[in-house]
Amino acid sequence: VNGAHLHLLLNHIPTVAFGVAVALFLAGLIKKSEDLTQASFVAFFINALLAIPAYVSGNAAEYILRDQPGMSAEVLAAHQNAAAFGLIVMEMTGLVAWVALWRFHRWVIPTLLALSVATFALMARAANVGGGIRHPEILAGQPALAGGGWPEFAAMGTAFIVNHPWVWPICEILHFVGLCLLFGVALLVNLRMLGFIGGVAFADINRLLPWAVIGLVVNVITGMLFFLAAPDQYTQNAAFGWKIGLIVAAGATLLYPIVSDEIRLLQRDAPVSMVARCVAAGSIGLWIAVIFLGRFLPYIGSE
Amino acid sequence: MGSVLEQLEQTGLATWIRESGVLYGYPLILFLHTLGLSTLVGLSAVIDFRLLGVGRGIPLKALERTFVLMWAGFALTAATGSLLFVADARKHALNPAFYVKLLCVALAVAILVMIRSRVFRDQSAGRALAAASLTCWLVALSSARLMAYISEFIS
Repeated sequence: VNGAHLHLLLNHIPTVAFGVAVALFLAGLIKKSEDLTQASFVAFFINALLAIPAYVSGNAAEYILRDQPGMSAEVLAAHQNAAAFGLIVMEMTGLVAWVALWRFHRWVIPTLLALSVATFALMARAANVGGGIRHPEILAGQPALAGGGWPEFAAMGTAFIVNHPWVWPICEILHFVGLCLLFGVALLVNLRMLGFIGGVAFADINRLLPWAVIGLVVNVITGMLFFLAAPDQYTQNAAFGWKIGLIVAAGATLLYPIVSDEIRLLQRDAPVSMVARCVAAGSIGLWIAVIFLGRFLPYIGSE
Repeated sequence: MGSVLEQLEQTGLATWIRESGVLYGYPLILFLHTLGLSTLVGLSAVIDFRLLGVGRGIPLKALERTFVLMWAGFALTAATGSLLFVADARKHALNPAFYVKLLCVALAVAILVMIRSRVFRDQSAGRALAAASLTCWLVALSSARLMAYISEFIS
């Protein structure tokens, strides 16, 4: 599987899989079913995680395609900018969905309705422009689709980090701050689930969990800026793909304590089931593996 | 002083760390350094948050067991940090950011010991200590990250 092939597989996630999540959400609202809306929140969050590999695999595909005859650099750039716009709104959707699962507020329903419909429309547009890479006839006669007038977030991100020498070091510092926040809080939560820490009800520990998500958000933003500065350096690196894959898996474990009734309602000295212990141990192991690959990335180098 | 640092850099161990080029050399030491520091700083920050009022329902007693992990993280970070220092002793010894980092780490660890003895045992309010701890860790992380840029700037 090369980068182009991988992108063709993964690009169904922000489009088709996300469409299914929107349908679940709407069905939940119409049927007034809490189970369906909860399931759609989980699906929104997982989709937002998977959209990251879908996006970065696009640059891996571009690395292979850009020198082929008949490739239009304008259409490639337009697709990338359209995808970046969709990704930003998609990540906001996933974030609000996580907050809704953590603690439900009334405002999340209209917010998620607006964000998820906007994400779907933006991703549909990105897919449409992307289809025009191999099938220029799609875009013929519709120059408005190909990018003119739309915000160019990918190009803006690249310009921001490349043109200002202070941005990279500041992002490095923030990436470490985010890492410590995320790892520290995730460690504490998982140690309670493992039983290493006792004498505290999970509801109290749960108040700290958003700080792990704040750390994750900081690191996704700063990480994406590193990526935008030098995409080839990352897509051609053997450690990078694994790191992104493990971030998706590790990020998904942030759902477990807020979705599992056993953990949410865990009393002060109550024992924890084997399943929850395995999830907790897996979560710690996955975050350590993410740190490992991040540190090895510059030394493993290009294939 | 300079010759001591130079001799340190020329020991077999220092040369191996710097020049072996194998993945279980310099990169592995760097990874263990990061793992140790994120355990220490992460859990210490969690305790600071608790003292500042986030998750105030958590009994301090429940957090006592995290100290074992924080000291293990500190030991790992200090041991691997010494190895990284030996490998480039003269470069780091000339770098002002390195001393800022060492000072902030020493202060933050001292604050952690004080939190343990005063707040955990005597139940005194720890807001000021918690704020000082977070500040020290933030400056330590920042100066650590900036070491590479500052050493390039002064050379």
